[in-house]
Amino acid sequence: MRVAELTQEAGATPAQGVVVRSLWKKHLLTFLMVFGPGLIVMEADNDAGAVSTYMQAGGQYGLHLLWTLIVLLPICYFVQEMVARLGIATGKGHAAMIYERFGKWWGRFSLIDLMVVNFLTLITEFAAISLALNAMGVGPWISVPVSALGLTLLVLTGSYLRWERIVIALCLMDLTWFGLAYRSHPGWAEVARSTVLPTIPEGGVTGSLIFLILAIVGTTIAPWQLFFQQSCVAEKRLRFADLKWARLDTLIGAIFTVAVAGAMMLVGNFGFQHHIPFEDPAQLALALGPIAGHFVRNSVLLLMVNAAVLGSTAISLASAWAYGEVKGWTHSLHKKLWEAPGFYATYMACVGLAATVVLIPRVPLQLVILSVQVFAGLILPSAIIFLQLLLNDRELLGERWVNRPWNNAINWTIIVVLFALSLLLAAQVMLPHLFN
Amino acid sequence: MATMQTSFDPQCFRVIHPLSDAPEEKCSTEGLGRIAMTPAVRLSLKVLRGYLMVMSVLLVYHVLDLAGVVHSMR
Repeated sequence: MRVAELTQEAGATPAQGVVVRSLWKKHLLTFLMVFGPGLIVMEADNDAGAVSTYMQAGGQYGLHLLWTLIVLLPICYFVQEMVARLGIATGKGHAAMIYERFGKWWGRFSLIDLMVVNFLTLITEFAAISLALNAMGVGPWISVPVSALGLTLLVLTGSYLRWERIVIALCLMDLTWFGLAYRSHPGWAEVARSTVLPTIPEGGVTGSLIFLILAIVGTTIAPWQLFFQQSCVAEKRLRFADLKWARLDTLIGAIFTVAVAGAMMLVGNFGFQHHIPFEDPAQLALALGPIAGHFVRNSVLLLMVNAAVLGSTAISLASAWAYGEVKGWTHSLHKKLWEAPGFYATYMACVGLAATVVLIPRVPLQLVILSVQVFAGLILPSAIIFLQLLLNDRELLGERWVNRPWNNAINWTIIVVLFALSLLLAAQVMLPHLFN
Repeated sequence: MATMQTSFDPQCFRVIHPLSDAPEEKCSTEGLGRIAMTPAVRLSLKVLRGYLMVMSVLLVYHVLDLAGVVHSMR
């Protein structure tokens, strides 16, 4: 039973809170107070790798792959809803739950996997920052250390809410993608048709098409998201009664993220329509300058940086929270640096090391990006299996919080599909000519 | 507590931020030990463990190969 209920029964009133005089205001205010983790986890997943993948999809295949986003929308929502539910029910992070319920071997394995794939992903984020700001005339020896310092200061305020508000503001900057998509003047009827009707591009099903579809799946759902949202929900101390608002937050986040991803594809499609070859978004942005203007060029570059910053802070926090939980350290953004030294040291080590790697000359970044995609694809289905098993743990959660049969049917389908895709991805990378 | 109706006015609601609210008792793992699993689930996890280890080794080998490390060792 909740302590707050006891105080109410005893006639006491809480010292804090806002008094409102209508039911809809109560609902709105409660939602706004709960809002945050769902949007952040989804939008941070539109990180630098995602910008690159979605723009590549638009640049190579025009509007043909828009339908994949509609397929991925419910998958994102169902997986993250389970995470939010588990976080609210237990008040603990995902790494701690795996350790406590599945033992040390799986606990360590999950943690090491997470830390490795997160670190590799962080390198790609800093590489994107370096690439985008270099295209704007800022050298990597300035852009990368300054970004690393900014990312560190972001979490050192001693307040979860301050961090959350700043990050939500960064998420909302992604609204600019809609303006860019609008300015790219796609045929809206064709956009609508390609969104709901899967079509095969000219050239048929090739290895590169399969790889891109797998990359879209891999970039839309990532292992760190499971760990991040559960820790975030625990950090925010969401209550049982907040679940419906956390679900709405997650749903809004999923819809917003998929819509932004679609806008990125439309911007990539602009390059496709003008036959602009490009290997990364920075190249496309530079090529777009003379055609679409400096606003579009600079916007794409700055949005790339924004995506990398969002991804970096969320991924580093996922690692720091998970490591802190398993080590039993104090792990909270509410604490000052000296109150949770291990937690902040982990965050700073992740950010600092990744930034350093990017500054090393001739590091094979393309290889790192490839490894991230395959490794994340490999461990994602197994991470979701643990989530699924935990959500069926009646001994821990009781009947109220466990999955319903329809939840299980959907989730096992997702797991089977993700396993098949991860095998395909591994086969495609290790045997590049398999589908050609 | 997310919201509560004030006792003196039925149309008044006090909305409290989760971080300012009194803590609630969560589902705890204390004293539970490891999760109960059927033999089939246990076997599936063992297979998964083997699959992940083999795939991880294959991936590391492939990456080292692409980086030219394997070639230089031969």
